[in-house]
Amino acid sequence: MMHVTEREATQTIDVSDACLMVDHLFRSRAGQMVAYLTRLLGPEHLDLAEEVTQEALLKALQHWPYSGIPQNPAGWLFRVARNAALDAVRHRTLAGEKSTELAVEHFRNADASSANDELEDQLRDDELRMVLMCCHPTLPQDARVALSLKTVGGFSVREIARAFLADEATIAQRLVRAKRQIRESRIRFELPAGEELVARMDSALEVVYLMFNEGYAAQSGEDLVRQDLCGEALRLGRLLATSSVGTPQAHALVALMAFQAARLPARVDAAGELVLLENQDRGEWDARLIALGFDHFTQCAEGTELTSYHVQAAIAATHARAQEGRATDWKLILELYDQLIELSPSPVVELNRAVVVAKVHGPEAALAALRPLEGNRSLRNYYLLPAVQGQLLLEIGDKPGASESFRQALERPCSEPEQRFLQRKLAECSRM
Amino acid sequence: MAKYMLLLYDNRANWTDISPDEMQKAIQKYKAWGDKLKKLGIYVSSHKLADDAGKVLRGRGPARVTDGPYSETKEVLGGYFMIEAPTYDDAVGHSRDCPHLEYGGTIELRQIDPMVGSA
Repeated sequence: MMHVTEREATQTIDVSDACLMVDHLFRSRAGQMVAYLTRLLGPEHLDLAEEVTQEALLKALQHWPYSGIPQNPAGWLFRVARNAALDAVRHRTLAGEKSTELAVEHFRNADASSANDELEDQLRDDELRMVLMCCHPTLPQDARVALSLKTVGGFSVREIARAFLADEATIAQRLVRAKRQIRESRIRFELPAGEELVARMDSALEVVYLMFNEGYAAQSGEDLVRQDLCGEALRLGRLLATSSVGTPQAHALVALMAFQAARLPARVDAAGELVLLENQDRGEWDARLIALGFDHFTQCAEGTELTSYHVQAAIAATHARAQEGRATDWKLILELYDQLIELSPSPVVELNRAVVVAKVHGPEAALAALRPLEGNRSLRNYYLLPAVQGQLLLEIGDKPGASESFRQALERPCSEPEQRFLQRKLAECSRM
Repeated sequence: MAKYMLLLYDNRANWTDISPDEMQKAIQKYKAWGDKLKKLGIYVSSHKLADDAGKVLRGRGPARVTDGPYSETKEVLGGYFMIEAPTYDDAVGHSRDCPHLEYGGTIELRQIDPMVGSA
């Protein structure tokens, strides 16, 4: 019976991996294995689930160089991890540990229930529960992000630390605390319903968005793991959006991320210099991601609720629709920014809106729109405010004013390509 | 063509705190190296040795059987590759780019002694 089970499990997984080793296979399968085992073992044994998963991957590392990569790598990994987990709980049960008796029972039932070809669905469901567990609103937000990356994303502590430019010990401690809190608050590994589901989903989308933005902020030449954050955020976003509890809001977020990720390759030119959105070579935008963006964008319109993700996605979609920078429908984008300010007002949104005002009503109007932001404390260290002002002053021919603004911008923190961009602008001011 | 045995010793400490992504990359490197040997037509065989089944037999008369040397030493013999090469130096050349070295392992390279008197 058990052999049949395993063979069938193997076949279902085989479809996606074939015999190739796809990019980040270990990372994403590690997340699935931890989720699968956590369901069987219970969230209080999350550590054990992670441990045996790591063990299974290490076994692969020790065997495959000699034996070659098996026909079905994921099936191999699952089998090894599952057996290691079962050994561990049997051992603990023999040693008198109460909490593991139930786990042994779960493993036995899992044998029977996974004998159908719905295993891949089950795994997706496990992953979904895992994300929602990691994004429990009682956990601090930075812990939610770290825990999601660790358990669902298959990132190591070191990778998370590198991705967030943080200290390894800090991340490790954050994870230990979060897991303790899961145990102590008896957070369950099941799909919440009603209000609770709405709150968890909101939190999960927030985590995904944060992850994406952190990766999106990564500069070229920086650690690749930072850019991997965008990929993982997109994967998690799609998992949430296409799940049984997916919402139009989740689709909106995926659309937004897909459109933005599509532009990543065009963000810097061959020399590593910054290229502004309107000057980007649209041929370099990732067509597959644009298509994915529109696919989810269509689905996000199905609800009645209009969220800030919807409006941001609509803005990104409007850019994506323009065949070239000049063809951008700025009037529509301005209307969308007005909506966005109503939904979630922030000085950064105001600043972005002002750039669009310049396109529609000219630089004078935009400068007027920016004036109220000048004393804003949250923009004090934000180089983009003076940078945008400088650009607008340049457009109306006020070169001394523009050069003063670019100088101010250069005094604020920004990346090297951004600095070089501002230097070029400054040089432009002194010409003629 | 003589046969050569590459004995791959691992240092387990090198594999602590390694991420899934890094493990996958390591496996892909080993695979690329193994594929290269096969493409050159010099690959003979390779096997991983079992981790915990090793014992050492010693002594004249009734042999004393003890646990393998593994537990005490940091480096353990993880497995071997057998390849064919015209000279020892060629075998060294083929071993040099084995990712095992990059990951802090050691390779002991031994020639299978051709039978005395054979051509």
